[in-house]
Amino acid sequence: MDWRSSSEPNFCSKSRPTRSAQGLLRSLMAASFLLALLIAAGCGRQAVRASEKEFLADQIMIFDHDGQEAVADEHVLSNREGSAGGRGTAGGGCGCN
Amino acid sequence: MMGATIRGNCPRRVLALAMVVAALLVIPGSTSADDRADFTTTYYFENRRGGLGGLQVIHPQFDVGVDIGEHVSLAAGYSADVVSGATSAVYSVDAVSTATEFDDVRHEGRLSLGFKGSRSSLIMSAGVGTERDYSSITVGASGTIDLPGRNTSLSLSYTHNFDEVCDRDNGMLGILERKPLTGVDPCEKENGLFGTDAFDIVGTRITTWRDIAIDTVQASLTQNLTPTTNVQVSLYGQVIDGFQSNPYRRVRVGGNEAQEASPDVRGRLALMVRANRYLRPLRSAVHAALRGYSDTWGVSSATVELAYSQYLGKSLIARFRSRYYQQTSATFFKDALLYQTESTAGSFFSGDRELAALRNILVGANLSLLSVAEDDRQVWGVFDKLQFNLKADILFLDEDVGDDQFLSSGQLLDVIVLQLGVLLSY
Repeated sequence: MDWRSSSEPNFCSKSRPTRSAQGLLRSLMAASFLLALLIAAGCGRQAVRASEKEFLADQIMIFDHDGQEAVADEHVLSNREGSAGGRGTAGGGCGCN
Repeated sequence: MMGATIRGNCPRRVLALAMVVAALLVIPGSTSADDRADFTTTYYFENRRGGLGGLQVIHPQFDVGVDIGEHVSLAAGYSADVVSGATSAVYSVDAVSTATEFDDVRHEGRLSLGFKGSRSSLIMSAGVGTERDYSSITVGASGTIDLPGRNTSLSLSYTHNFDEVCDRDNGMLGILERKPLTGVDPCEKENGLFGTDAFDIVGTRITTWRDIAIDTVQASLTQNLTPTTNVQVSLYGQVIDGFQSNPYRRVRVGGNEAQEASPDVRGRLALMVRANRYLRPLRSAVHAALRGYSDTWGVSSATVELAYSQYLGKSLIARFRSRYYQQTSATFFKDALLYQTESTAGSFFSGDRELAALRNILVGANLSLLSVAEDDRQVWGVFDKLQFNLKADILFLDEDVGDDQFLSSGQLLDVIVLQLGVLLSY
């Protein structure tokens, strides 16, 4: 085998589209847009009255309630996967902070 | 980054950070019911095939936050990575046998200043991270606003990193001639943070520092749908501009063993949708999350996560979690055998196993013990809320290409993560 010739970089290759995950990303974006439209239409304002937020205020309903655990989790996984970020934002929608 | 042990000036920085934290704790009259101190330590252990290599990381975190009046808060934090293990020095067909031992310590400190209104908050933050061969300065801001009705929260955050990584000075050498950095190469810094080039006794530059600029933005919308259901949609974008190869890693391309070469720019986009639903009769909640990701290196991924939280009595919460992740490979990543027999895919080549097509499954459990003050009686000393967390996750890794020598350990468990945390509010 001619190692010299095989070691020359191939500068002509092109990227392959990764359809399945990109399709999922597009679907997620469409779903998010729909959700944003519903909220913009005003359904979010009256969704839950203040007196009905007992369960939403429970710590098991708050996204990333333990901030340190969430950070450590992201730290571990981002070092074992090729796609970091986009985990979301801590907190809940109870509006009772 | 991999490398030798840390330089001797780090303990001084740790001491300085500890003094800042101590100062925050003793600010007169600054404490209120929302002040808190959290301490968590995570232990990460990873097996490697044939017992060769392996990785162990201890990651302590300490955060403290105090309110100054009704509208202003201060927070400080410190975390570290104490890493030891062995990793393959050369990405090649027999990479496992080339495993070399290393150890490193990374320190990170952060400060933030927050302003809180009746329906909005703004946090400005800054942080520094340092290790032997890498330094990072981060500045950022995040804002949250509750829309009228307080059922919708909008959040927006932005951070910028001014990072530097130490690299062997390869001058004008071609990509297949570049030599890697080694653990004995000097990586010098000014003031313990800013990298400076290192020269040998005849004035030849040995190492240099390469810049990495990282811009990250995230927008989230959190919505209450019903009294027992909430959802969150997050859009995340990041652009990394700078040297992104591992300076230590070599790749065997044909008869060459050159330092890996990655593109200088990487753009990332991720979208996550997640939801919680409280189950009243069971005093429990189910959690679901779906995440899609794509970047300009050709990596696309999908993540599905399901979890279940259950109250056991008044003060115990158990949470069970499962997560499935799958990604495609970067366009320039190839199996080691193909690099050796076919050459590269374009002008870049990498031995970073996280750029391979891979999947993993995570299962885990978390137990939280809560103690909350009632009737104005503290639960312990000055604290009115105390929470202990114990968590265990296991990861099963699988690489889609070649002989799978870089991810799967060939043993029952590939990765074990244990975590112990204490959260105190006073």
